[in-house]
Amino acid sequence: MGWQYTIPGYLIVFGGLAIYIAFTLRRGKRLAEQLPPERRRFLD
Amino acid sequence: MTEIDLTPAVEPDQPGRSRIRNWLIVGGIGALLAFILVQALTSARVFFYNVDEAVAQRSELGDETFRMQGVVVSEPETDTDGRMTFTVNFNEVDAQVVHVGEEPSDLFELGQNVVVEGHWEGDAFTSAQILVKHSENYVAEYGDDRPGVGENISQ
Amino acid sequence: MKTEVVGTGSRGTRIVGSIALVLTALLLLFGLVLSPPEISQGDAVRLFYIHVPSAVVSLYIAFGVTLVGSVIYLKNGSVFWDLIAGAAAEVGVLFLGFALITGMLWGRPTWGTYWTWDPRITSTAISFVLFLGYLAVRRLDLDPVARSRRAAVLGIISFFNVIIVRFSVQIWRSLHQGTTLNPADTQMDNSMLFSFFLGMLAMVATFAWLLMHRFRLAWIEHQLEEDRLATAIAARRGEASTFNPGTI
Repeated sequence: MGWQYTIPGYLIVFGGLAIYIAFTLRRGKRLAEQLPPERRRFLD
Repeated sequence: MTEIDLTPAVEPDQPGRSRIRNWLIVGGIGALLAFILVQALTSARVFFYNVDEAVAQRSELGDETFRMQGVVVSEPETDTDGRMTFTVNFNEVDAQVVHVGEEPSDLFELGQNVVVEGHWEGDAFTSAQILVKHSENYVAEYGDDRPGVGENISQ
Repeated sequence: MKTEVVGTGSRGTRIVGSIALVLTALLLLFGLVLSPPEISQGDAVRLFYIHVPSAVVSLYIAFGVTLVGSVIYLKNGSVFWDLIAGAAAEVGVLFLGFALITGMLWGRPTWGTYWTWDPRITSTAISFVLFLGYLAVRRLDLDPVARSRRAAVLGIISFFNVIIVRFSVQIWRSLHQGTTLNPADTQMDNSMLFSFFLGMLAMVATFAWLLMHRFRLAWIEHQLEEDRLATAIAARRGEASTFNPGTI
């Protein structure tokens, strides 16, 4: 009893996290390339 | 592209009155929102009345819709029309509830704390919704760790 | 090869990220498989292990970081703290969204409804809207300094509402359970408690990891925006110089 609520809950949380992570990392990778190396402070 | 201006970038707009004003506008909106929240929740519109209060204020409440909290003290009985009748109690005051709305959750049973939403109709409270107010206690089902053990019990 | 662009990742993020991943795997194992169903809620109790941690991490940790960052930014104009505040708020809004959704999914089988205007639910929804507004202010097309200052003020004000959320179940009559985590009177099976603590640790680690990445992304965005502004100003200076009095 209750799995029909639990499963969607876990799927939304971990699926949502996965999407956000993918988006953030990809954008970071793309924009970092546009930045000259001497201005990449905080990036390592 | 490569001719970069090396003069320090000056702030594009001037500091001063307009900035402070905009600042206050945003601050004012936020404060207003917080104020509304406090007002909405501390005024007479409580989330629920307890049974004793709802009974004491029956005449003032009239046919107004409100929520009432109490413990289910009689075994709920369902008649042929699908209406469920039971008694709730709080602070030694009883009230008869006739529930005509959607079926409550599986946690609804004798001895549960419930919040019913509805209105007074004669001597009884006509409820359109039953919310089960469950406690912070979580008890493992028979202490058996294997998943799926609960399946045959919950039926 | 030393100057290879690796995006927002680093040794630090990889360490924190690995910890978050291991904790999340353990959370799924204990939360969904090894812990027992609850006696009356059945398997819906498993939502507890992600619902409370995402709410706690969002409201107290993420928005707490936003508060601290905003205060420091208003005091000394530190770009670092401004960006930290913005990054924490974005991850916090995401986590608060998770808390609201899992709360709805948990409310249906237990209370009997997905939503009700209970004080805690209402105040949490208002927090969600406020910090969404905060993120909107950060995206306004304004002078960056003015924008960051407005955002900081909103970030500080919004935190007051978080305090209201915290005490809502004590101040007002509420359908929502009170604080489960009072160690003095925890009424919970051990494996449930353990799953819950795993949930807390997993969410905290995930938040820390995301905050690092999101801050670095914000830092890159900030640098690129400064470049654009400098280029635009230089271009306008160039234009202006062609209208020098001497040339006419």
